[in-house]
Amino acid sequence: MIDERMEEQAALYVLGALTPEETGAFESALGRDVELQQFVTALRSSRDALAGSLPALAPPPALKQKILDQIAAQARPTPAPASLAAGSVRWFNWLPWALAACLAGLCAISVFEQKNLRQTIGEQAQQLIDLNQLANGLRNQAQNLQTAVATLRETNRLANLRIAMLNSMLADSPKAVAVSLWDDQQQRGVFLVQNLKPLAADRDYQLWVMDPKYPSPVSAGVFQVDAQGNVRLQFKADKPIDTANKFAVTEEPKGGLPTPTLKNLVLLGG
Amino acid sequence: MSEPALELARDVELLRRIAGGDRAAFSDFYDQYSGLLFSIAVKVLNDAKEAEDVLQEVFMQIWNKADAYNPLLGKPVSWAVTLTRNKAIDRIRSHQRRSKLLEQATLEAAAPPDDSLSANEKLHGKENAERIRSAVADLPAEQRRAIELAFFNGLTQDEIATKLQQPLGTIKARIRRGMLKLRERLEGFL
Repeated sequence: MIDERMEEQAALYVLGALTPEETGAFESALGRDVELQQFVTALRSSRDALAGSLPALAPPPALKQKILDQIAAQARPTPAPASLAAGSVRWFNWLPWALAACLAGLCAISVFEQKNLRQTIGEQAQQLIDLNQLANGLRNQAQNLQTAVATLRETNRLANLRIAMLNSMLADSPKAVAVSLWDDQQQRGVFLVQNLKPLAADRDYQLWVMDPKYPSPVSAGVFQVDAQGNVRLQFKADKPIDTANKFAVTEEPKGGLPTPTLKNLVLLGG
Repeated sequence: MSEPALELARDVELLRRIAGGDRAAFSDFYDQYSGLLFSIAVKVLNDAKEAEDVLQEVFMQIWNKADAYNPLLGKPVSWAVTLTRNKAIDRIRSHQRRSKLLEQATLEAAAPPDDSLSANEKLHGKENAERIRSAVADLPAEQRRAIELAFFNGLTQDEIATKLQQPLGTIKARIRRGMLKLRERLEGFL
C-alpha cells in the first residue's frame, strides 16, 4: 500500500521536482518496492500524455540526416574484453621482478668497473622505482577497466530481455492480447494485458512461465483486470527460470493453483 | 498502432535493435517520437534552435546508451521524454539564472491557449488524442499549472509555492491530486 506522502513524492519525482537528495532517497525506495514501481510507471505515462497534448511541432527535416551522419561518423563504443584487463594485470605483476633480476645481473659485473657500476645501479634503481610506479598506475587502470566492463554488463539489460506476445485462446475474447517482458538476469518481468474480460470475484487469472527444465509451468502469480480488461503488472516466477520459452495465462479459482488448468487456457505465446 | 501492449513490445524491440547498432531501428524510433520530443524541448526552451540541439543530444544518447534503458521502470517513450525534459532544463540552467526561469514561466502563463493539433494525435490516433485532451482539460487549472511549472519550467516545489503564493503543502497536494486524476482518467489505455 502506497501512502499519501509516497504518492506525493512519486508525483514530484516523475515531474523532476524533487531535490537531488530527495531523488536519491526516493530511488532507493523505488528499487525495493514493486508496487511503487508500477505506480511510477503509470504516472510517467500520464505525464507523457500531458506532454503529448502540446501543439505538434516537427523538427526540421534535415535534423534527422544530421544525426544519422553523426552516428555514421562515430565508432560505437565497445566494451573491452575482461581477459585483456586481466592480462594487463598479469604482465605488470612480473615486470618489476624482471627488472630487479636485471639489476642483480648488473651487480655481478667486474669490480674494476665499480665506480661506473655504482652509478649504473643508482640509475637502474631509480628506473625500477619509476617502473614500479608505472606498473601500479597501470594495475589501477586495469582494475578500473574491469569495473567498467562489469558495469557495462550490469547495465546491458536489453540483452537479457525476452519479449513475448501472447494471443487469445478464447473464442469470445479474440481481441485479448498481452505482452510479457522477462529479464533473465533480474528474474522478473513486466506483463501488460489488454481486452481481457473481467472475472467474477471468486476467480483469478494466473500467469505461467514455461521453462524446459521444469516438467510443468511455473506460476508467476495471479491478477485481475480493470473494467476495460486491461492491467499492467510486474511479476516474478515461483522458481528460478533459466529459459522462459513461453508464457501462458489461465483462469483459476481465487488465489491460483500450483499447476495450470489447461482447459481454462486464456492466453498463450512466446 | 494505438494498442499500448503492442506499442510497448514494438518500442522495446526497437531499443534492443538500436543497442545492437541497427540504424534502421534508430530511424524508426526517430520517426515515431521526434515530434513529441521536439515539442517538449520547444515548450521548455521557447527556442526552436536550442530545441534542435537538445533533440540531437537526446537521440545521440539514445543511440549510445539504449542498453541502459530499464524496461521494468517504464516505457521507452517515458525514458526518452525524461531525457529530453532534463536536457532542456539543464540547458536553461546553464544559460540563465533561476530568476530568468521564473520570468519565463510568468510570460507563458499569460500566453493564450493553443488549439492546434497535438503530438498525441500522431502517437495515439485522433480518437485517443481527444480522450487525452479531454482528461488534461478537465484538470482544475491550479493543479495543471503546478504540474506544468514543475515539468516544463523546471521549478522546484519551493519555487512553485513562492511563485503561486501558496503554502508548500498545498502545492504538493495539488500536484499529487492532479497526477492521480490524470492517471485515473487514462488508466488502461496508455
